Amino acid sequence: MKKALIVIPNLLIMGFILFFIIRYANFKAADSNKNEIASFEKMTMTTNQIIANYLEDEQHLCDIWSNYINGSAQAGTPMTADEAISYIRKAKISQEIEGHLIFLDDPKRAGISTSASISDPDVYTVSYKNINIFDNIENVSDVNDVVNLTRAYTNPTNGVQSIAFLNHVFVYDEEISEIRSGLLMRVVPLSRLEQKLVFLKGEYENVEISLVDKEGNYVVHGKSFKNSNFFEYYKSYNKSSAEEYERVKNEVTGGTGTMIIKNFKGDDCILSYMPLETMNIWFLITYIPEKDLVSSRAIDWMLLGTVILGLLSLLIFNAIILMTYNRKLADAAQQANQANEAKSYFLSTMSHDIRTPMNAILGLNEMVLRESSEEGIKKYSESIRAAGNTLLSLINDILDFSKIEAGKMELINVDYSFVSLLNDLVNMVEKKAEDKGLSLNLDIDEKIPTVLNGDEIRIKQIIINILSNAVKYTKQGSITFSAKAALIGDKQDSIGLRISVADTGIGIKPEDLDRLFVAFERIEEKRNRNIEGTGLGMTIAQSFLDMMGSHLEVKSEYGKGSVFSFEIEQKVIKWDPIGDYEEAFRRSLSERINYHEKFTAPHARVLAVDDTPVNLTVFVSLLKRTGIQIDTAGSGDEGIALYSKNHYDVIFLDHMMPDKDGIETLKEMKELKDTPNDATPIICLTANAISGMREMYTNAGFDDYLTKPINVERLEMMLLQYLPKGKIAPATDDDDMDEFVLPDFLFHLKELDVNSGLNHCGNGESYMLTLKLYHDTAAKNAEEIENYWAAGDIKNTTIKVHALKSTSRVIGALELGEFAARLEKAGDGGDTAMLSKELGELIKRYRALAADLDPLCEGAAPDKDDTRPFIEAGALEEFYKNLGEFCENFDFDSVVNLVESLAGYRIPDDEATRVDAIRKAVDNYDYEMIPGILSGEMG
Amino acid sequence: MKKTLRAFFSLSLAVLLLLPGCGRGEKAEKEFVPKYDRETSFSLTVAGSYGNFESLEAEFERFYEYYPNASLQYVTMDDYNNVISKALIGNEPPDIFTTTGAMVGNEKYKDMFDACEILSDPSLDIDYSCIRSSLIRTNDSGEILMLPIFTTSYGMLVNMDIFEKEGLKVPNNYGELEDVCKALKSAGYESPVMGAVKVSGSGLFNCFSYPMFAYDVIKSGNGAGLLNSFEAGSGEIMRPSLERLSEFIGSGYVDIEKCREEITDEYESVIMRFFEGDVPMMLATGDIVSGTAKRESKSDAFSAKPFKYRFFTAPSGDDGGYFINSISICFSVNKNSKNLDMANEFMRFLISEGELGNMAGLKRLITPVDDFSFDEVYSALADIPDDRSFSDKETGLLDPAVRQFRAAIYAVGNGKMTVDEAITAYGNIPEE
Repeated sequence: MKKALIVIPNLLIMGFILFFIIRYANFKAADSNKNEIASFEKMTMTTNQIIANYLEDEQHLCDIWSNYINGSAQAGTPMTADEAISYIRKAKISQEIEGHLIFLDDPKRAGISTSASISDPDVYTVSYKNINIFDNIENVSDVNDVVNLTRAYTNPTNGVQSIAFLNHVFVYDEEISEIRSGLLMRVVPLSRLEQKLVFLKGEYENVEISLVDKEGNYVVHGKSFKNSNFFEYYKSYNKSSAEEYERVKNEVTGGTGTMIIKNFKGDDCILSYMPLETMNIWFLITYIPEKDLVSSRAIDWMLLGTVILGLLSLLIFNAIILMTYNRKLADAAQQANQANEAKSYFLSTMSHDIRTPMNAILGLNEMVLRESSEEGIKKYSESIRAAGNTLLSLINDILDFSKIEAGKMELINVDYSFVSLLNDLVNMVEKKAEDKGLSLNLDIDEKIPTVLNGDEIRIKQIIINILSNAVKYTKQGSITFSAKAALIGDKQDSIGLRISVADTGIGIKPEDLDRLFVAFERIEEKRNRNIEGTGLGMTIAQSFLDMMGSHLEVKSEYGKGSVFSFEIEQKVIKWDPIGDYEEAFRRSLSERINYHEKFTAPHARVLAVDDTPVNLTVFVSLLKRTGIQIDTAGSGDEGIALYSKNHYDVIFLDHMMPDKDGIETLKEMKELKDTPNDATPIICLTANAISGMREMYTNAGFDDYLTKPINVERLEMMLLQYLPKGKIAPATDDDDMDEFVLPDFLFHLKELDVNSGLNHCGNGESYMLTLKLYHDTAAKNAEEIENYWAAGDIKNTTIKVHALKSTSRVIGALELGEFAARLEKAGDGGDTAMLSKELGELIKRYRALAADLDPLCEGAAPDKDDTRPFIEAGALEEFYKNLGEFCENFDFDSVVNLVESLAGYRIPDDEATRVDAIRKAVDNYDYEMIPGILSGEMG
Repeated sequence: MKKTLRAFFSLSLAVLLLLPGCGRGEKAEKEFVPKYDRETSFSLTVAGSYGNFESLEAEFERFYEYYPNASLQYVTMDDYNNVISKALIGNEPPDIFTTTGAMVGNEKYKDMFDACEILSDPSLDIDYSCIRSSLIRTNDSGEILMLPIFTTSYGMLVNMDIFEKEGLKVPNNYGELEDVCKALKSAGYESPVMGAVKVSGSGLFNCFSYPMFAYDVIKSGNGAGLLNSFEAGSGEIMRPSLERLSEFIGSGYVDIEKCREEITDEYESVIMRFFEGDVPMMLATGDIVSGTAKRESKSDAFSAKPFKYRFFTAPSGDDGGYFINSISICFSVNKNSKNLDMANEFMRFLISEGELGNMAGLKRLITPVDDFSFDEVYSALADIPDDRSFSDKETGLLDPAVRQFRAAIYAVGNGKMTVDEAITAYGNIPEE
């Protein structure tokens, strides 16, 4: 195809050039031919003149003879025929020319010749009896200088083809003694006339000249004319109608002109004709083969061939050059594609790498927001959420742009509530506007239908972009968001939704308007450097509008504000009008409550597989208030093990995991037969959110996917979609259902900063568990420190002090931790004096704190509030088995993860002791003790 | 002769059909190989009495293929018979010129024949073996000075459409002629037979009577000698043919006056009158037939209503017609030609079965070579039995005797003499 694109236009151009050359050559040839024919006509005229002059001269000589003879007669002394001939014999100069005096009234048309018969020197008589040249003798004029000429005939005295000039003479006939009229003939060999025309041979080699009479009979016969009559010749070799024949006859004998006729070979010949001057009863015809006169080859084939070869060479040369450059371009394009793929890979990686920690940040922050009761903490947490969301928004913009650039962005139309969309928009912007002291005015058409069909997410994204920009670039005044609906022509099922956002911001200079939609361009970068953004917002919005068949309209007055608007067509699903939205929104604001779970599903069971424990913790925490039973697995294999044993209503499977990623895990799960989860929907958890992920995951066999950081609302919506309806129950009004209540005495312990401990441990429950562990291990640790110190083992003493520092900080025993840190530093520095001096104090405070925590272990009856599910017996056995294998393989990271995974379960009483022992061993890094605990030898 | 012609005709046809492009089998002619440098530049003039000689000019063109720098020209000479001898010794003598059988033995042409190249000279390498030997004329020394180019015959043009329309067969003998004429007359054909009657050599009388007379002369043994010498009583040999002519004219089947009025010359008018389409039989020579092809388009009547026509012998004999094959024209070479070698070279080229056949075909005359003309017009001649087929050379008649016979039939035919008077006046019958 690429070659064809080069070759075909080139060939067309070549064809055009050749066509032009041929046309031009033909034009020039036609012009040249026209000139040639005109020259030929001129030659005919010249010939006519020469012939006429010659004939007049000869006739004049004949007339001189006749005048002399007739003068004698008029003078009364007429000459006899012999005397006349004798006179002529003396008068004529040329031997070739003869004078014949004949008497037409003689039956034999006999007379006397100036020359004897060539066959008999004694015979001077001549007879024209059998020579038919006197048909028009009555036309012979007596007037001098009027040419009277015979046709070419054979001179009877010598057999030479001749012509004769005639005049009447009067001679005395002695026999009858009377004056008798005779015809004086000046007989001239035809060759003399032909010699006069020799000049023509130089210019026109094959020209032939004929003289014909009015009937077409030849007076002088051109050798190519096969017939004795020109018109017969014409008729014999030229197919013509009677009318055409007559026309030719009339033309040739009627004037001057040129025509083309066929000769006996069928070749075209140019015929030029005109009446012979001074003898208008005869006509001059000049004839030449057309090929001799005109260029039948209108085109110089040598030139044309050279041009063709030249053009072909040029084409081939150009093709080679183009192909060479094409190859280089193809290489460059390939490199660019590779670079683009690398970019996509980078974006994918970046997405994952940023979103994974963002998941932790925002998820945990969400928990802080939910669970913190301190206003200061909540304020910080809100800031984290705002900053996190901004960061996510930037990432999302880049990823959207990446999708659009790759052409993989697609619109997904769904039915949506327009009010809900408005809520989301206003909720997202209202706070920002308020923060900047801007008033958000709403102008929402009450007649907008309630439920529309379109890509809600993208519409929301477009408007959010515009609104966010309005807020960003407006320092004071207001933002006016308006939405109007109008019917579109005859369409009964759609409306035109017109959205506009007006602000009283900085405005845009007219010259900057065109840059508004250029990717990564930020108008007045210097002035707006403090405003966050990638410069992609408007580009993305415009791209989405393009996909929706619309475009963004911008009206702006620099320094006064801007109006951004667009109109999109949306299908109407429910025509009920939304009513007075602004009023409804204001009312809802006043009734706004904090987060509340959408549902509870205590009988539902979900499996979450992720290699990052903290992600699992976040996942579990986010769903904590739904009461859903959650099993977690730290690897694909672990997930597969649970998959094959337990029934789950939904499985969340992380994509990016070491060893066996989500897709491989899914594949293995699907290959398993007769599992309790054959019909269980499996949803991919991924930090990848760049273009093409949806296709990849659905193609891989996932039922859906959820991006990280996990948005709790999306997570809950997804669960509502996939959980069996029978297991879903309405949410309770008890906001503190799952609140873990810390014992009051903790808040009164001087050594302990509870909030710090909570921060380190994530939640109250974890904190409580951590405190218990701290308490349970305190006696042993203190004893070991003393033993190592007593034994002079500074190194291990320092290690143990280091552990004390860490654990103390985790539980919020910050001062104790600082104390331990100073001694650790002293141990590292070999400062035994200091250790000797203060180690005792440290251990004392350590033990005092442990003693203060004793109440935690008192009455350690099962926690009535513990709503965690009991771990199943099979799962616990699998836990022991895996734990044993990990210990055998010295895979202590997996040991830690596995033990942490138990946090979501309540342990049956008969196994609680063993599990606690395992936890203690892990907390104390006594991994080598675990096999003993598992076998029952220890614990 | 009949069998020979039929066999030849069939064989030739078979060869033509089965072996196109293969020549003529074993008799295939050798291709002409130029004897001289092909680049030789020369010009030749061929003189003759024909007003047109397109078939010869076509040969010029073919000759140019071998000698592209040659220039050949045909010149029509006025009063040819009187002028040719002078022209040969004049300032512009022709290189090749036409001669006729009638010139042989005529003292008037002695100088002309004296100027003729001996074409039988082996050094010239002219292969005239293709020409029917009966048509070859030699001088007293047995030398060939002229080679026939065309031959002719005497007979009649028959409008085949009329015969077909009237359901008649073309007559083979005099009895059938009378029957056919009677039927045609009754069918409204005023003069079933027509022909030129204006001059003594005219077609009608000559074409009807001369073949019969020539046959009688051959059969008479020494008749030709007696007639040539105008021996007293020799005119009796003319009696059967003159009586048959007289009988035919007297039958009323040929309207002499109508012929005189409507056919004004011996050539053009004969053809054009025949093409009017209402003449069942037009007595004519082969020379007249030669002019038919070109004049078909000139005749408005024929163009409007063309018809099929054939040439037959005139059925003047009781047993049938007589086919006399006469020389129409011969070519001789001027031995004084400035380009004698090239003139002989042209003759060497022309005297071949193929070239002579081409010429005869174009001219619509009877070719002198053994390869009888395939022209359909002449196809009926193949049916003439051998004993009634002969050449005029075989008659032994000299031109004066022939002219006297023509004068006799002109006189008898026009009612100026009775048969007896003409026989008695033989040798002194006025000639025009």
